[in-house]
Parts: sequence; structure tokens; C-alpha cells
Amino acid sequence: MQSKKKGLTDISRILLVNLDNCVGCYACEVACRQEHDLTFETKSRWCRVMTIEPRLVKGGLHMDFVPLMCFQCDDPPCAYFCPVNAISKREDGMVVVDEEVCTGCRLCVYGCPYGVMSYNEVKGIAGKCDLCSNRIAHGLEPSCVQHCVGGAIQFITLKEFADWTQGQHVVTVGKVCYTSSKWKLEGKAV
Amino acid sequence: MAEQVLCLRCKQPFVPQKLLHNITQIAKEKDLDKYQHNYALCQKCKSQVFAEQLLGCDLEPVERVKRIASRRSEKIETVKMDTRLGTTVYKSQCFFCNQGCDAVVHVRNGKVVKVEGDPSSAVTKGILCSKGLASKDILYHPGRLLYPMKRAGERGEGKWKRISWDEALDTTAKRFSEIEEKYGKHSVALATGTSRGWVDYFSRFANAYGRQRTGPGAAQCFMPRVTAERLVAGSVVLECPHYEDTNCMILWGFNPTNTSLVKGRGMMEARSRGAKMIVVDPIFSEAASKADIWLQLRPGTDAALALGMLNVIINAGMYDKEFVDRWCFGFEKLRQRVQEYPLEKVEEITWIRREKIKAAAQLYATTKPASISVWLAVDQNADTISTGRAITMLAAITGNIDVPGGNIIPMKINVRGLSDPALTLVNKLTTEHHQKRLGSKEYPLLSSKASLITPVAHNFTLWQAILTGEPYPVRALFCQGNNMLVSYANTKMVTDAVLSLDFFVVADFFMTPTTDVADIVLPAATWMERDAVTNFHQISYNSAHLQQKTVQLGECWSDFKIMNELGRRLGFGELMFPTDEAYFDFLLEPSGMTFEDFKGVGVISSSLTFKKYEVTGFQTPSGKIQLYDQRLEDLGFDPLPSYREPTESPMSAPEKTKEYPLIITTGGRVPVFRHSELRNIPILREIVPELLMSINPKKAQELGIEEGDSVLVESPRGSMEAKAHLTEAIDPRVVQIPSHWPGRNNVNLIMDNENCAPMIGSAQLRCQLCRVRKKD
Repeated sequence: MQSKKKGLTDISRILLVNLDNCVGCYACEVACRQEHDLTFETKSRWCRVMTIEPRLVKGGLHMDFVPLMCFQCDDPPCAYFCPVNAISKREDGMVVVDEEVCTGCRLCVYGCPYGVMSYNEVKGIAGKCDLCSNRIAHGLEPSCVQHCVGGAIQFITLKEFADWTQGQHVVTVGKVCYTSSKWKLEGKAV
Repeated sequence: MAEQVLCLRCKQPFVPQKLLHNITQIAKEKDLDKYQHNYALCQKCKSQVFAEQLLGCDLEPVERVKRIASRRSEKIETVKMDTRLGTTVYKSQCFFCNQGCDAVVHVRNGKVVKVEGDPSSAVTKGILCSKGLASKDILYHPGRLLYPMKRAGERGEGKWKRISWDEALDTTAKRFSEIEEKYGKHSVALATGTSRGWVDYFSRFANAYGRQRTGPGAAQCFMPRVTAERLVAGSVVLECPHYEDTNCMILWGFNPTNTSLVKGRGMMEARSRGAKMIVVDPIFSEAASKADIWLQLRPGTDAALALGMLNVIINAGMYDKEFVDRWCFGFEKLRQRVQEYPLEKVEEITWIRREKIKAAAQLYATTKPASISVWLAVDQNADTISTGRAITMLAAITGNIDVPGGNIIPMKINVRGLSDPALTLVNKLTTEHHQKRLGSKEYPLLSSKASLITPVAHNFTLWQAILTGEPYPVRALFCQGNNMLVSYANTKMVTDAVLSLDFFVVADFFMTPTTDVADIVLPAATWMERDAVTNFHQISYNSAHLQQKTVQLGECWSDFKIMNELGRRLGFGELMFPTDEAYFDFLLEPSGMTFEDFKGVGVISSSLTFKKYEVTGFQTPSGKIQLYDQRLEDLGFDPLPSYREPTESPMSAPEKTKEYPLIITTGGRVPVFRHSELRNIPILREIVPELLMSINPKKAQELGIEEGDSVLVESPRGSMEAKAHLTEAIDPRVVQIPSHWPGRNNVNLIMDNENCAPMIGSAQLRCQLCRVRKKD
């Protein structure tokens, strides 16, 4: 793919997930299912909101939500599991599943350490977040970004990245960056 | 099927043994052992473990980035082509709740293929909630009602026969006249459920017909708070926080990201800018999790909290003296009244530490501008009018009414609405109508001419009339968009009443427990199947919006058409409109536009202006903010706000508390369902598969209850069942159960509807007593 310096196809763009702003409304989940035709019958979800139930930490109560989608890992474990080389890391940083090659063996689904590779029971193949590449190509942000009520999920360029992460706790995995102003985010990065 | 290995965490089967073996084998070969612990987890648990590890538990607060996420904005086009999807895109408005978020509907070959938020909307800025985003699934659900049907067996037996609209409506009209001939004019009553852009027209329908109407929302949703706001400020104000410029917001019994997405967006944007946030809620809600101060009150004690905060603000002189002198009536009397609510007493009532109440009152009163929003929860306690008035007074005496960043008085728009008698024909009603309306004596602000919104019958009083024939018999009900057998308190009483009717007609999208016992069922059109002009202050303070019909399913009719056609058969067709479009033309008349013109424009708005009262005064008898209200005194009620203890509480009913020791608060909402609706939509149900009762782990342990246990919840009214969810979000003395689940999961089975709030008759759904035990 030809990289453009400006616009939505700028390959430096990443998905910024500002955990301060996620309210657990599930709009991203349902928006994603609609955009990618992941009907109930497919049993497939590319985006999922996890809830960290209310817990007492240092005398205060905290509840958090973490939207999860494929991180487009730098060294994607899913690709190692694929016996037919259907999964590859592209130059623009995207991890893609070749639908023509995928045999639906599900090794990648169980092999993905984060549970974000998904088996589509209707198509009989694996699938995952492609950052709404079709929308991006047509000048639209990913559907989860448009519909995020809290403005927690954003599709930003490297330039904007600094503005949004300044002084924040940050963990970046592949093309997804989580930020928080309260948790240190000691999570393991790939 | 090959043997499945159980997930180490959730213990559910998830992967065939052989596959798991292959995976660990490959992992070993490819040096991916660092993820080894994850291979034994199912998809969801892997994600959950990642989320938990990502967050960790190391709290280290840093200054937030004070920025608002930017959003794509488009210019308004009411119909356009989408080259990406090959669709025609109609600008419309989602109505799977009652508010109306601007949405775009993609249609290809006569079928809706996608529904998204509308980035051309100044109101939603392109967002849409999970319910709206599932619109296509709802529209094409195989369970949709597509044709009128009549009962073909015993009532509730589930045998139906398809009939024509003519037969359905002719039969209805004929049966209504027969019943009225036999039992008198008021033996036929009308009921609406949720408002979906047609409820104003339902008022016209009822008034033209000259029959009383009721609705679940009347006394325990919307009307109490709006009546209270109008008593004090002559307008809705608390429903209209101006988040764009606010620096401090109180969300009172309001969790907007689950229920009111536009307000949710406003709240999160204000917070992103750095506005302070105070949340009043007995539960640690999504909103509470974002708050600077969370006031965890005892359910039902909102009025005491508001009076305590007024006490702090008045006694410390933190009110806006200039505004109070010029624009408030009865301040000295209020000053005296709040002396009865010192913080020691308020702490005892509300369970909130006095220092915390003081801090919240100070933060709100000293941060300018500041806003308050209240929602449903304040409409379901022992004195809902006092609650709403006291909270409105907080906004008033701090000078936050109709200022940028405060609470706005909505703008007049050149479109007719509920306040226009030419639309509602309310003046057609005679004194006899007003006197006969059930509840008019006991609950004048709800059911008599003194109503500040539109008078409606009181639920409990109506059920009683149906069951006993007193004060007069009611034998038939016509019901649009209302699942009363699930949605109303005291399900047994409601069910008995409905089953005893001679004739019962229901219009809805799906079969429900309520349509199940109907005589005739009418298929209603969803928002994608009808046109409309909508104008509601909950969604926009200054604009009216377009809804466009995109498809026709079966023989579904718009609710407008159902009323038009039934009205004609009942003999008042000349007071209704021949077509939906003629009605929309009438609504739009003040704007000088026809509906056809409006279809090209999509939105009518007026610019937001502030301090309108400086020109017009407040729309109250004194022209000022009424802290003291003579009208209430004339009706025999307290002219000042006060706190009334819930009828069933450890304080008011110590004997009953011995048997039913837990406080139950009901009605907490989840984001993916709307009241009793949408549990049949698989992609939504998957997110919240079952009813969960929130209970504190300490209390659960005491009762021998573990996470996921089936529990029996009992009250003097009966029992219901739920799954226990152990959570620190709730006080050990309280349990919370979301309402509107069907069958044995229906919490309304155990809720009282007889002991209602004075003046307006609200059921105390947020504060009753129960006991909980593990189900055998």
C-alpha cells in the first residue's frame, strides 16, 4: 500500500484508547459487529469491552473498562500458529488474515494470547480487527471511533500522539496505545 | 464432538483437546512459551486477563490531559448516495428509546443494510448507542409483528388469527361503543408506554376521544421531576444541563452513558475539559466511577440530601445574593425550612458523611458555572415533588438557571409541541372529564386540571377501578407501545386487572407478556418505517428533527396512522388528521414549512440564548423562582420542600424490617436494553445475558450466597428470582435489581404500588424492603 503522509491512510495512525474516558457502553462492540457483518450467527466479535469490577484500592473505589481489539502486534504470535501462512504483518504495520488462504483451523484463534482473533462460524475462517480499512480508504474513521460516546477510542497520527500521551501512563502494543491518568499500566507489552 | 477442555478461569468448555495439544506443541517449537498460561483460557478470559494485567493495581494519579476528542463533522444532506456501500442514505432519528438521536439509515434494494450515527448532527456529533446500532437487527427480527391479529383461543392461550386492519379497527370501535353503552362513558381507558415521537399526538387522540389515558411513565418517570421544575422555575431546567460550558456538574440519580447518550457525551466532554463531577447514586455506577465526589446515599433519601446541601449553601452565604434578591420568591421561608435539616440529621437520614455533603455543596456552590441533571431515580421515592423542587432550588439560589454552563430553559422552536392546546385539544375537556379522571382527588398534580404538563390517570387507582368497579367500572383498554404486565409495579395486581377486562387492544413491535393477553394485537412501525417531526428537550434544547420512512415491513403502521384510523372509526376523525403527513404539516405550520419542505432541510433550530427570564420573567405566578408555592398550599400540601421517609424503610417500618431486612432499589439500567425491550435481540442479549442482583460481598457471605447463585428475593407482595452479583458498588444494607425483566425475573412482582408519593402519586420503586436467600 502506498503510504500517505496526511489523512486517514497515514500509516503512522494508531488507535488510542484513553481508559479515563471509557464508560462501558458497548457502542464500539455493536458498531464493530454491524460494520463487519459479524451477525450473531457468526459468533464472532472483533472488539470487546472488558470490565474491571469495582475494587477498593488505597481506600477508594475504582471501576474501569478496557476495550480490546487486535493490537496489530509487532511480532504477531497468531502468525506463528498459522499452518498455511495466511497471517502476515504488512509493511504498513497491519496484521492481515488472507481470507482466501485461511482454512479455518482455528489454531490462531486459540493461539492469540489476548483473545482478539475470532472464528467466524458463518464464513468458516478466522477474522479480526482490520482498523476498518475499508472505511479508512473512504475517508472515514473506524466505526468504534465514530460511535465512542466518551471519546475514549481515537484514531490519531504520530503528531497527535504526543499531545494525548504527555504525562500520562502509556502502554503501546502494536498499533494500539492505552493511556490512563490513574493506573500505572504495568501490563506486559509484547 | 471431540472432548472440549475447560477454560481454567471460567470453567466453560472452549477448545478440543487435540487442538490445545497442537497449540502447546507449536508454542514450544516457536518459542512462544511466554504466553503459555494463556492457552488454557477461553477467548473472553484471555481478554479479561489482559485487561486486568494492563491496569494492574498500582494507583498513581497524574494530571489528566485536558482535551476533548475531535469528531468528524459533515454537512447536512437529508438523502445522499454512499459510493462505498452502494446505498441511499436517509437522515433520520433513532427511536429505540424515547429521546431521538440523529442517525443515518443506509438502504440498498429496498432493505436497510446499516444504521449509524449522523456526523452532520450538532446534537449527537455522530455517536449512536448500542441499541441504535442494533437497529437493523431489531427491524428484521423474525419475531416482529407484521399483521394485525385477533385472539383465536382463550385469553393468554397463544392462539392467534391474522386479520385485516379494517377488521381489527372496526372490531375495536364496535367493542368500545358496546362497552360504553353498558358501563358508561369512562369505562374505556387509554394507555401509552414509552414516548417515541408520537406521545403528544396520543394526548390529542385521548382528548379528542374524551377518554382518560395513563402510562407507566406518568407518575414514576418524567412527570414528577418536570412538574417540580415547572413549579419552581416555570420550565424544565434540570433536564437541560448546559455541558458545553459547565465547570461543575452534579449527576443526580443519572447514569447517562447507559441511558441518554447525548448527555453522556456532553458529560464526558465536560469532564475531559476538566469540569468537576459530583454523582449522587446509591450504586457505584459508570458515572460514579468517573466522579470527583460520589455521594452514596441511602435509596429514597434524595430530598434530605438536597435540603442538607441547601442548608450548607444558605447558612454559609454561598448563594447568589443578587439573583436571589431580584428573582427568587420566598427565600426567607426556605431559609427557615432548611434549618430543620442540619448536616448531623441529614447524615443520619442519608448515610452520607456530613463532611462529604459539605464538600459537595461547597464545590457546587463555589464553582461557576455549575449544572445539575436529574433523571428517573428522583421520580421514584416517597415525595418526588419535594425532591425535584429542592434540587431545582439548588440550581436557582446559586444563580445557575439559564446561564451558559448552568441549567438551560429550552428555546421556543417554530414547531408545535405538547404545550400547544391547538395540538393537544386539552381545552376540549370538560370539568366532568377532569373530575372523573382516576386519581384526580388524591394526586392533583398528576390527574387533575392542576397538572402542569398534561393530566393523566393514576395507575394504581386505575387498576383498582378495573378490579373493583369503584368509583366506576373500567372494562376496556387501548394500549400503544406499553408492556404493562412487565413494566408496572405490583405485577400480580396489574395482571389480574388486565385479565379481568372485557376487551384489551395492544399495538407493539413484538409479542410481549402484555400482547400475550390481548384480544387484538396491532403491528406498529419502528422509526425506520415511518416519517416524523420530533422536538424533545431531552435531546436538544433548541432544535426539531426529521425522521424519514425508509422501508415498509408487512402491514406495520405508524402509531400516528393507527390513531388516525381508529379515531375516524370512533367518530372523531375530523379532530385527527387524514394522513401522517397532514399532521406533520400542522406541526410545522409555525415555521412556514410543509413536511415536504422539511424533508429537504432536516432540522429546524433556533440559536441558544440565555437569561431569557430578564425579558419575560419566569413562567410562574410570581414571575420569579418560586421557593415557596402558594399553589401547593391551596391544594392542601406543604408549600416548601421537605423530606418524607419511604413508607417501607428501616426507620419508618422497624417491625417489617425484622422480616425484610434489606433495602431494595430497582430500575438500574444496563446500556444494551431499553426498559422491557430488546432482550430478544441476540447481539445485545449476549452482552447482558441474565438478570443480576447487586449485593455487597459482606452481606452475601452473611447469607451464604456466592457469585452467580440463584437467589429468591421476597417482599410482602411475593417473590422473584435473580442471579447474585457480588459487588463493592453497593452498601451491605442495600440490594439493587434492574427492572423490566420478564417472568420470574420481574422485580415488579415484589414491588408495592399502593403507597405513593403525595401530590403526584409516584410508586416508591427505589426504596422498599425485601429479603434475599439462596434458592434451594
